[in-house]
Amino acid sequence: MLITAQLLLAKTSNSQSIRDETITIEAKNEPLEKTLKKIEKLSGFRMAYPSEKIVQYKNVTLLKETRTVEKTLKLILDNTDLDFKQFEKKIIIFEKNGIKNPPSDAADLQGNIAGYIAGVLKGKVYFDDNSSSVPGASVTLKNDQSVGTITNNTGAFELTIPDKYKGTAITIVVAYIGYIKQEVTVTDINSPLVIRLKPASSALNEVVVTALGIRKERKAVGFSVTEVKGDELVQAREVNVANSLEGKVAGVNVSSLATGPGGSSRVVIRGSGSIAGNNQPLYVVNGMPIDNVPSTPNTTNGSGTNLNVDNGDGISGINPDDIESISVLKGGTASALYGSRASNGVVLITTKKGAAQKGIGVEYNSTFTAETPEVIPDWQYQYGEGKFGTPVTNQQDAISYGRLSFGGKLDGSNVIQFDGVSRPYVAQKNNIKNFYNTGKTFTNTIAFTGGTDALNFRFSVSDLNNKGIVPNNSLDKKISNLNVNAKLSKNLSIEAVAQYNVEDNFNRPGLGDALGNPNWGTYMIANSVDIRKLAPGYDASGNETLWNASGFATNPYFVVNRFQEKDTKNRFIGYASVKYNLLDNLFIKGRVSDDNLSYDYTGITPTGTAYAPQGVMNVIKYNTAEINTELTANYNTRFLKDFNVNVLAGGNKQQHTLNGVEVDGSNFNIPFFYSLSNVNSVITLPKYTKTAVNSVFAAADFDYKSIAYLSVTGRNDWFSTLSLDDDHIFYPSVSGSFILSEAVKLPSWISYAKLRGSWAQVGGGAPNPYGINLTYSQLAGSTIPLQQISRDASGNLIVPNNKLKPYTSQTFEVGTELKFFNNRLGLDLALYNRATINDIVPANVDPLSGFTSAYLNIGKISNKGIELLLTGRPVKANHFTWDVTYTYSYNKNTVEKLAAGQNSFFLGTAVNSYVSIYAEVGKPYGEIQAYALKKDAQGRTVYAANGFEEQGNLVDMGTGVAPSAMSITNSFNFHRFNFSFLIDGKYGNKIYSGTNLYGDRFGLLKSTLPGRDSGLPLNGVDDNGQPFNYTVPVSDIANFYDNRKNISSFFVYDGSFIKLRQVILGYSIPTNSIGSIKIQSLNISFVARNLLILYKKAPNIDPESTFTAGNEQGLEMFGVPRTRSYGLNLMVKF
Amino acid sequence: MMKMKKIYLGVCLVSIITIMTPGCKKDFVAINTDPNAISTPTVPYLFSKAELDAFNAGYYASQISNVAGFIQHFANYKLTSGFGDKYLTNNEAGTALNTYYQNTVSEISDVIRYSQDPADVNKLSQARIWKVYVMHRMTDMFGDLPYSQAAQGYTNNTFFPVYDAQSAIYSDMLNELDAATQAFDANKATFGSADLLYGGNITNWKKFAYSLMLRLGMRLTKVDAVNAQKWVQKAIAGGVILNDADIAVMKYQSGSNTINRNPIAVDLIGNDYSATAFGLNLIEGDKYSDTYVNYMKSNKDPRLSVMAVVWNYADPNNPVPDTTFANQKGMANGLTSQPVNFQSYSEPNPATILQYTAPVMVLTNAETNFLLTEATLRGWNNGESAASYYNAGVTAAMHQWALFGSAGVISSTKINAYLAAHPFAAGTFDQQMQQLHTQFWASMIYDEYESFSNWRRTGYPVLTPVNYQGNNSNGTIPRRIMYPLSEASVNSTNYNAANARQGPDLLTTHVWWDK
Repeated sequence: MLITAQLLLAKTSNSQSIRDETITIEAKNEPLEKTLKKIEKLSGFRMAYPSEKIVQYKNVTLLKETRTVEKTLKLILDNTDLDFKQFEKKIIIFEKNGIKNPPSDAADLQGNIAGYIAGVLKGKVYFDDNSSSVPGASVTLKNDQSVGTITNNTGAFELTIPDKYKGTAITIVVAYIGYIKQEVTVTDINSPLVIRLKPASSALNEVVVTALGIRKERKAVGFSVTEVKGDELVQAREVNVANSLEGKVAGVNVSSLATGPGGSSRVVIRGSGSIAGNNQPLYVVNGMPIDNVPSTPNTTNGSGTNLNVDNGDGISGINPDDIESISVLKGGTASALYGSRASNGVVLITTKKGAAQKGIGVEYNSTFTAETPEVIPDWQYQYGEGKFGTPVTNQQDAISYGRLSFGGKLDGSNVIQFDGVSRPYVAQKNNIKNFYNTGKTFTNTIAFTGGTDALNFRFSVSDLNNKGIVPNNSLDKKISNLNVNAKLSKNLSIEAVAQYNVEDNFNRPGLGDALGNPNWGTYMIANSVDIRKLAPGYDASGNETLWNASGFATNPYFVVNRFQEKDTKNRFIGYASVKYNLLDNLFIKGRVSDDNLSYDYTGITPTGTAYAPQGVMNVIKYNTAEINTELTANYNTRFLKDFNVNVLAGGNKQQHTLNGVEVDGSNFNIPFFYSLSNVNSVITLPKYTKTAVNSVFAAADFDYKSIAYLSVTGRNDWFSTLSLDDDHIFYPSVSGSFILSEAVKLPSWISYAKLRGSWAQVGGGAPNPYGINLTYSQLAGSTIPLQQISRDASGNLIVPNNKLKPYTSQTFEVGTELKFFNNRLGLDLALYNRATINDIVPANVDPLSGFTSAYLNIGKISNKGIELLLTGRPVKANHFTWDVTYTYSYNKNTVEKLAAGQNSFFLGTAVNSYVSIYAEVGKPYGEIQAYALKKDAQGRTVYAANGFEEQGNLVDMGTGVAPSAMSITNSFNFHRFNFSFLIDGKYGNKIYSGTNLYGDRFGLLKSTLPGRDSGLPLNGVDDNGQPFNYTVPVSDIANFYDNRKNISSFFVYDGSFIKLRQVILGYSIPTNSIGSIKIQSLNISFVARNLLILYKKAPNIDPESTFTAGNEQGLEMFGVPRTRSYGLNLMVKF
Repeated sequence: MMKMKKIYLGVCLVSIITIMTPGCKKDFVAINTDPNAISTPTVPYLFSKAELDAFNAGYYASQISNVAGFIQHFANYKLTSGFGDKYLTNNEAGTALNTYYQNTVSEISDVIRYSQDPADVNKLSQARIWKVYVMHRMTDMFGDLPYSQAAQGYTNNTFFPVYDAQSAIYSDMLNELDAATQAFDANKATFGSADLLYGGNITNWKKFAYSLMLRLGMRLTKVDAVNAQKWVQKAIAGGVILNDADIAVMKYQSGSNTINRNPIAVDLIGNDYSATAFGLNLIEGDKYSDTYVNYMKSNKDPRLSVMAVVWNYADPNNPVPDTTFANQKGMANGLTSQPVNFQSYSEPNPATILQYTAPVMVLTNAETNFLLTEATLRGWNNGESAASYYNAGVTAAMHQWALFGSAGVISSTKINAYLAAHPFAAGTFDQQMQQLHTQFWASMIYDEYESFSNWRRTGYPVLTPVNYQGNNSNGTIPRRIMYPLSEASVNSTNYNAANARQGPDLLTTHVWWDK
């Protein structure tokens, strides 16, 4: 009972309160009913009242003023016998009556209902789903609607039956908004009725947040929108809140990366829509966009360069505790009001607000989790370090073969190692465990709410402290958020949000290629060498301790002890809005928001690094500002009796500025003194870009009797980055929904049925600034003036194109929402077809043309898909409920067209170009190309004379992006306990594993065991097709397996997986047992994320270990090991 | 009061709408103007960059670890990068071509485009000559190349340029040198100090152009002796560089931006011979080839002590470079593992080669004198005797090390002693060619492109190829560099046409003049 009530509260937490909502109303001696109808229209709350009762009251006169709905109602009902009560989006007005406490169940009811009164039918109405009584339900005679009444605040009614019906069969109709109308045939007028109303559908009443932060009833929405409540994000947490969406929303593909706690997240909604552009959604907080651009040096690339770290993205700066809800606007129609930035969908975040209340409300949330590597590779531990099937015999060889496990049988004998010390030749199975720490994340948030009707606030402070699993890596993130709402006068209200983040990162781990990557050596060190012997990683003179033949495979301890990386992000997100009511049904609203980031980065490759002995120092400082100014006007009216229309029009001015400087220094004059004053070579580069987009937009929403809805939107964008004479584009959308269950009578097991459809054209990929004309730049830092053609931010030479436009993305979508069996089962199905046309393709031009690429508006890419959401409540008992949510999505992506004559576009490549990722015409986006094993026509392996397997053709291995995803959440509530777990999976994708390729080259994979004892017999053909029989001698086994790097298809695996993503076991502690402090609620939970991989095909790795948020998905190689995390969460409300 | 408020609000509204009206986008032009760039080039600065960029394309990857390995100036024991030493294919050398086209070729083409005013005729001529210098080095390495349509991605939107046959490229280059030289007008302006080679001196540019004509003309001896003779004689008649004062040398400073530094030193220090390596733990594992060091030692060549060092570990805590002639030792080509006492093999001398302020020898009187020696042997020159030119060439080659600083100075006494011990010997044409071009090979170290071209044309010195298992040239010394990988995929039609004309894109294919 208690638990179900809590659930209900949670469900309705989104509804506005009549204490907060204000209306401006005046009444001049008018009937009460008229005033109530006005309130209904102005406030948006639906009114339920006994019409026949209210006519008896005198007319109402009210001075024009802005008051809360509650206060207005109090004023006008002051001298009546009527009282009112808010229930969700409804206000129930009923007759005051002496019964104070409603009975809690039907048994009590029998006793409370008085006996038979001649001609009067008595009864009581209850909600079926939580057994509380229903005040304000209408009760009418079916065949004489003039006979009717309304239930009082205890849910009881008395219906006086006119004498003429005495003796006939009487049928009454009980109706209540949001619940199924119930007809009851009265057989005995003397026996009191008990009527239980079943909800028509929660969707009927649910309000969702849509574009520009506009709230709409879910049934009025003609496109797929999924809402995730903030409280789903705060228990089992992710450092980057975007990762929490994984498995929660059908059609949203979240890739959390193997880049460490401060890293980015890649979110793609309904498949990649652009060949080379950004494929991630627009993030919007309280209706205004924030900047999600990753900090430079950019998120990692596939090949990996010096200090290749993931510096995080914009969304990671939002504190989940501040989030009221996240609306994922998946289709183009949903996001059409955002025009040129909306092609990839919008993730709309609404933050929590304060509320008028007595005293100060305090909420405290504390989470502590520990993280450990999720997957430990299953290496071979039979043969130890060495190259020729024998242990090494001198220090020089021990270094040369430091990463080769092609030695002799591990027999415990003493064998010399890289440092000249002899140690037992035994397996070192715990190198991963020994090198990495147990990560620790401690998050504390405290929030205060308070205020009055006129002014209220919410203030929160959060501290996240993370010690990474990589030694000496840490992250500290502090976020404070203040939200203030005020009603300055009866027509004027304001809202302001100020958020300030301070984020300090130390020693973000290098990724990808071996240089400066602590994970590389940790995984690749020969299996008979204890990783801890490499510590501290440097010798007495500070030089890196060499452990292998390549100076580029940095000693892991040298990295964690000597490399220095520090970045600080100071971020301010400000938002202010002013709303002014010009008329009762016309308001204007002005909003300004600024997302301002100050970024400060220092990276030091120290003196003594093997591949850069004199060291390197990079310093980057910049400021970015994303400023949006918006003005909207909103007009609402009713016409032709049954039509309601809401019209919105507005304009937006967006400006983005990046201003900073990058200083690249190399070679420290005085060793170990890391200052820019001490570098031998230094180049200072200005970094500056500025863009602006001006827009006007309008939307009209039509509503026919709450049965049919139609929305039309349009937006026109003007771009600073286009040439003046052709710089604007129009983006239209239309959507509609039809509530079948309201329009026609459906079988009773169908509680609710809605059909929806939409079409939209939105855009994306507005051109980069300064791309219209060829310009020239001076070479910074040169001692003589030198000039060259300007490069773009990445150093590429791009042919200027002043005809370039944002691409267009057209979405067609149909869907349905159905509820069955009194809402015990729900289904939400969406089918969509999204085509991106005129995609901006950086056509690879011949470098000998003097340029690297030319951007052309010619690409086409399509996404067709299906999304399914099933909700059910298989078990519902008094103290036990079981809820199940299942999502499924499938997206068929096809690259339809590239530049003329261009069949593939290069997206990225693995280290040493072993595999590459392409967008290929006719194939799904992100095709992995690898080299096949050469076979002859009969399928026999072709061997070179020396016994090496030969490299075959480059072949398509499949896409690196999973087309299908599925998730299932089970939640159980039992008394004060709740338990839920989320299982999710993705499948249909491939992943290239660099870890396995190198594990093969270096003899760590079990598949390299054949042939170790007596050579590897081969059977195949030679280059001339003649039979080839050869035994690879033991001494050459290392070379044989090393050669497999040329046949990279061996290391492209099925990337499918199923994971136990999240587990929460919670207990709500009875607060009356906690002494004198007044605690409203107290919850303690065990929480875990990424607990288990239930299914996977790729060996030795987590298939989710990609390490870039860029478009080249499907590459794995020595990222920070992905972790399982588990810990405790405490939530207290005072 | 209410009314006032409403009016005030109305004014606010109107002004906000006005601010936001998209029609009002006057500031868009300003917003979309990069404050860090200019729209029309400053042509002299572009020319300076084009001059420097002729030597900035990853010297290490394109020359030391490739061509220098082919012709055994350098040796390398690592497999990861020992492609030049062991004739393995690798894309890095080819990638240098992209760098050249996107920088020096593109820049010099822009200079030509912006120097069409008759008043700029001298600038135009300098640019035309420089373009020939840049392009001939590329076609010598690769063969057929985009030439007439090179670097026209912006000007003509030629995104996929056609390859011109090397014969056509050579013909045009020689004509360009001729025409550009004749177009000089002493009364018109030059690039002046922005010309890093000659400070705008027209006389020097003419000598440089004729010297280049001599080089290019001589290149044709195998394929077209008639034209070779014609152009060589035209060059000699025009007047080539003969004196130290006239040589083409790119000078560098030790500025904070590496572009101002000697690219050879930058790349060698950056890739291998760092101050803290002390002859050990070299990233790529290069040393001087024993072919080269043995030649120098057997001839008691005084240049060896100037350019080479080994590391003396008498005090293990303070190893010092040792230039003692007798201690120099080259490393065998084709090794696959590090030889013991790696520090005892000779590597570039930090006091000369590894100076950021060291010069790059662009075209000097050492080379012209050697080529004049050959012209004399061929009977194409009626000047001095072959021996006289040879001696002048050797003297110049040794003398020029003085430009590398005091550690590079070789005394006249030593030079004369060397010449006395190794006079230009009488003999058959082939024998004299062998002595001449072996000396050319010894002198032209660090201009690996020219050394490699001259070796392919003359066949001297006679080198013993290494036959590393798995090499890509059937165990023969490569005859060219393969095109960058991107050509086959991005510009396939024209790439295939070039291969159909000159032969498959292999290390073993001979370019047109190397038939």
